[in-house]
Amino acid sequence: MTERFNYPPNREALSAARAKALETLLIKKGVITAETVDKVLGFFETKMGPFNGAKLVARAWVDPAFKVRLIADTPAAIAELDFPEGMAGAEGEYMKAVANAPGVHNLVICTLCSCYPWPVLGLPPYWYKDPSFRARAAREPRKILGEFGLALGAATEIKVWDSSAQIRWFVIPERPAGTEHMTEEQLAGLVTPESMMGVAVANAA
Amino acid sequence: MKLQHYLGGLEGLGPVDFEKRVFVEEWEKRIFGIHVAMMGLSTHLSLPATSSTFKSKWTWADLRTGAEGMNPFDYFKFRYYEKWLGGISSHFIASGYITEDELSRETANVLNGEYTQASGGDTAIDERIEKYLVTGDSARQPAAITPRFAAGDRVVVKNPPATEHTRLPGFLRCKTGIVETVYDGAYSYFCSTGDGIGPAMPVYCVKFEPDELWGKIAEPGFAIYADLFDAYLSPRAA
Repeated sequence: MTERFNYPPNREALSAARAKALETLLIKKGVITAETVDKVLGFFETKMGPFNGAKLVARAWVDPAFKVRLIADTPAAIAELDFPEGMAGAEGEYMKAVANAPGVHNLVICTLCSCYPWPVLGLPPYWYKDPSFRARAAREPRKILGEFGLALGAATEIKVWDSSAQIRWFVIPERPAGTEHMTEEQLAGLVTPESMMGVAVANAA
Repeated sequence: MKLQHYLGGLEGLGPVDFEKRVFVEEWEKRIFGIHVAMMGLSTHLSLPATSSTFKSKWTWADLRTGAEGMNPFDYFKFRYYEKWLGGISSHFIASGYITEDELSRETANVLNGEYTQASGGDTAIDERIEKYLVTGDSARQPAAITPRFAAGDRVVVKNPPATEHTRLPGFLRCKTGIVETVYDGAYSYFCSTGDGIGPAMPVYCVKFEPDELWGKIAEPGFAIYADLFDAYLSPRAA
């Protein structure tokens, strides 16, 4: 009976060994190469990651016309900027941006799995995939945001976007006050993955 | 019904683990990379053939079907990538690429330090996988289908019997919403789920009010915007 709730004592070592064993067998059998996994991981470290989203948000902050285009036709606006090839690639085939504004806050969730806009944000962090988050964000988003440290006033409307079909959503947070002197590159440094999913806002420092 | 289809709104789960890392153990990166490789080498993609011995169709639908088919206790017990490791290993065993014995022996070798690093492989395999990452796997078809609904229409979510895989969040079943957006074109799904999706069809963003979803316990001041396939919607009787 208790077996269902117990983990093997070497839980992580066992999983690590099993993953290593599987990768080794797949290489030996010609399914993948010895480089495959490292190359995939390298792609997400250098080409598809939250640094792309941060660049987009910073541009939207300094160029209001670009922000309008980014919301109206997200892929076309992304194509205007100098990004690596693949911004409409895997898990970015149909992306849409929504913008926070005074009185409106956006939150992106996926109640069925872990849909996430890879080209602009990279891979989803654990909190996004946490069953508690996925369950509660659909019912009590304001409470969840409070637990994340984001207290929203009762007058602020929360728009929760549940990715259950094809669209991959991301949020353009509001530009923080007191950043008028900052360059676009410095502004990008203020944009966190959490702010682009709506569980945080962008802060000046 | 399957619990995994009804996660949205489930009560009693307690605080969220605000873990910001993508991978919490090094080995998780390896199984993620293997999954991406499988998607990139999947037979349904129109990408150059390679010498890879992978001859399966493998998409998100396969991984999701596995997760939705798990015993719900196990679903909550195991971490995200633990589920992937289980589902992906099972696919390679069930499809005859490897045997359970081989995997157990190799695992024991790694644990005992008797393991030798595998090497080599055709670089065209890795080129194809990167090509997949760059080009994606578009499900959008030219819009030959006229959408049944327009923005502002009231729609009711259908209540089809549970299938082994769905893209219909359980908490929306039988609920009434208003079409917010009709997306351009028509979208197919990786497979026919048996509850209506698979062939190309319109997709809508539908807005649901909290009191419609949760009644009196609803938190005020928010709305759910859900992207739903045409097959999951009915017109609301006037």
